[in-house]
Amino acid sequence: MRFTQYLLAAVALSSPVWAQSNVPDLSGMWLVQDPGSGSFEEWFANVPKPELRPAIVEDNKKLEAAAKAGAVVNTARRTAACPIGNFPLMMASSPALNLVQTRDEILLGAESNRARFIYMDGRDHSETKEPGYRVSGLGHSVGRWEGNTLVVDTMAFPAQVCDNRHPQMATPAGGRAKETTRLTERFQLVNHDELTITFTYEDDTVFVKPHTFTYKFKRVPEGTPFESADDPRDTAFEKRQYGSVETPKQK
Amino acid sequence: MKTFFIATSFLVGTLGWAQTPARPDITGYWELGFDSASVPPASLVQPVTPAIEREQMRHDAEWIRYCVPLGMPYILSQSPLDIRQSPTVTAMVSRVPSSTRYVFTDGRKHPEKEDLDPTSNGHSIGRWEGDAFVVDTIGFNDRGVSRLPGGGVRTPDSHLTERYRLMDNGNRLSVTLTWEDPKVFQKPHTYEYRYYRIPKITGARVLPCDTGDQERAKFLMSAFGN
Repeated sequence: MRFTQYLLAAVALSSPVWAQSNVPDLSGMWLVQDPGSGSFEEWFANVPKPELRPAIVEDNKKLEAAAKAGAVVNTARRTAACPIGNFPLMMASSPALNLVQTRDEILLGAESNRARFIYMDGRDHSETKEPGYRVSGLGHSVGRWEGNTLVVDTMAFPAQVCDNRHPQMATPAGGRAKETTRLTERFQLVNHDELTITFTYEDDTVFVKPHTFTYKFKRVPEGTPFESADDPRDTAFEKRQYGSVETPKQK
Repeated sequence: MKTFFIATSFLVGTLGWAQTPARPDITGYWELGFDSASVPPASLVQPVTPAIEREQMRHDAEWIRYCVPLGMPYILSQSPLDIRQSPTVTAMVSRVPSSTRYVFTDGRKHPEKEDLDPTSNGHSIGRWEGDAFVVDTIGFNDRGVSRLPGGGVRTPDSHLTERYRLMDNGNRLSVTLTWEDPKVFQKPHTYEYRYYRIPKITGARVLPCDTGDQERAKFLMSAFGN
C-alpha cells in the first residue's frame, strides 16, 4: 500500500514536467510572410476585411484624406508618458520576430529594443488594474496551451499612442486596438519551419463582429536580431526622422 | 495490476524525460542586493587621468540622455533582470533602455568579423560546462554605457566571458564576468555579481525615458558643461 502511495506521489510530481516537455517548442526567429505586394501598407492590411462601426469608418476616411494631404510622417514627440511599442505593427514587422519559450513566460522580441511578454504562470490581467501599472502598446498578455496550440489573451492596450497620424493604434484592414479591445491569438506550429498566428480582435466600439485573420511565418535559421543604429546625437537625425518624406503638392 | 500500470507509466515517463540532459535552469526574475557585487580594481594598460575619466563619464551620460540601448554589461547591473532559458536561446531583459540580449545555444558560432553587425550587447553564444552556463561575447559597438565596474571600458575589440551558476538550491545566481581587451587591460578583468531570485516583477517592465525632457538633459549633462 505504501509503495503504491509513493508511486502515485512520484507520478503526480513528475507529470507536470513531462507534460510540459510535450508541448511544441516555438522558440526561434520567425519571419512574417509578405503575400506578395512588397508594400508594407498593402500586406499589413491584406487580410479579410472586418465589419467596422460607422464611427470608425468615418474616422478612417478622415485619416485617409489627411494622408493624401501629406500627413504621412509621425511628428509626435516621444515623451516619457508615451506607451512603449505598437502591437499590430510589431506582429507584422518585416524583420523576424525572436521567440523564446519557457514554462512561465514566453518572450517575443521585435526588430530592436523591447520585447513582448506572454505570461504562462497562471496569472490573470488583474495587475493592469493596480495603481502604477504602465500601459504598454504591446498590451498585457497571458497564455495557455490547448493541445499543441498556444492561446494568448491580450488586453490593456493604450487609449492613445504618440502618433499624430494614428492616435489610436491601427489594426490590419482599418480596425483599432485600444483600451476596450480584447485580442485572442492562436500560435500553431505547422511544421518545424512554419508557424501561423491567428488573431481575433474583439471590441464592440470598433468591430460589428470579431475580426479574425492569420499571418504565416517562416523560420529563419541562425537569424540574428537587429539593433537600431539611429544616432539621436546626430543633428541630421531629426531631419531624417521627420523630414524624409516629401509632402505631396497641394491642389 | 493498477500499481503495475502506474509503475510502468512512471518509468516510461522518467526514461523519456531522462533522454533530455538535465541542465540547471537559470530562468527567472533576479535582483541585485546591496551585497551583490564583488568587483576588484582592473589592471589597466593606460592610467586613467582625470581628463580621460571625465570623457568616459561624458560619453556614458550622453547615451543615457538620448535613451539609446545602454548595452552590456550595464544591463546586468540594473535589476530586476528577467532571464528566459530555452534549449536553443537564452534571453535577458532589463528595465533600462536596452535591447533584449540573446545568447544562442543552437550550436552556431560567432559570425565572421566582416559579417558581424556590432551592437551594444554584442553577439553571444553559450555552452554548458558542468553546472555552469558559459557565455562568450564579441562584436560590441561603442554605444551605450561603456565604463566597466572596477575600471576600463568596453570597446569594439572587447571579449567577454561569463559564467552563470545557480547557488543555494536555485535561489541565488552567481555571474562571473571576465573582460579581455589587450588595449585596455594588462590582464583579464574578472568580477562577480550574485543575484537573489524574486517571485515576479511588479510595476513597469520598461522604465520611461524622454529625450525631449530638457530639464533631465540639463541635469545629466551639466557636470560636463553641456
